[in-house]
Amino acid sequence: MSGDQLSVIFGALADPTRRAILARLAEGDATVTELAEPFAISMPAISRHLKVLQRAGLISRSRSGQWLSSTLEAAPLREATDWMEQYRRFWDESFERLDAHLRRVRQQREGTEP
Amino acid sequence: MTNQICISRIFDAPRELVYQAFVDPDQLARWFGPVGASVPRDTVEIDARVGGRLRFVMTVDADPGFRNPIDAVFTAVTENELLVADMAAEGVPGVDGTLRATLRLEFHDEGDGKTRLELRQGPFDPEIGDQTRTGWESSFTKLDALL
Repeated sequence: MSGDQLSVIFGALADPTRRAILARLAEGDATVTELAEPFAISMPAISRHLKVLQRAGLISRSRSGQWLSSTLEAAPLREATDWMEQYRRFWDESFERLDAHLRRVRQQREGTEP
Repeated sequence: MTNQICISRIFDAPRELVYQAFVDPDQLARWFGPVGASVPRDTVEIDARVGGRLRFVMTVDADPGFRNPIDAVFTAVTENELLVADMAAEGVPGVDGTLRATLRLEFHDEGDGKTRLELRQGPFDPEIGDQTRTGWESSFTKLDALL
């Protein structure tokens, strides 16, 4: 995954309505009408959110009968999570070293103080 | 699923010592970065005041051409208690261009000469504003089950 894609995904996840839409789609596919139900916003506004999610690859849309149905795509979301996990490992390893460093500092201190 | 990292860790050292390890350039150069990475001392510049800079370059021992310059500005500083900095990093694996994120470090006295460090880093996107920092976890509880 390119960095640009990752930025697009994080950008898409930035909006609370879009996160709620994804949470709803985690339960199963839904049409725009179904997705709009819990929100006090118009269907065109929901459609705009869906376009952002689709551009980020977080959902796909397909026609079922006369309605356009949205499906959650979990893979890009997982890649974003994996990327964050790398950052967490970065800190965990740094803090292992910080632990050792602090031990040395304390020993030096205790060695020089009465 | 979140777009920020939260880490809580206890260090067996008093708060002043842990805090100094972050703001003293000589010390930061000795521990920062995962195993196999280095921070050359001459690249480190730390001015732990609001508006002051935190700058250094991370290198990777196995890849002499690799440079990961980090440039941050402190936005909140309370000695031995709190450091907040807006960071910009270049050369981060997986990211084209500049990665921006806010780093928040809280130093809590745990008693018995121990310190609890609370780290928050994120959100990891320049477009993501303050309004998104709350309510993230609850929205994703259902998604977590999927991932």
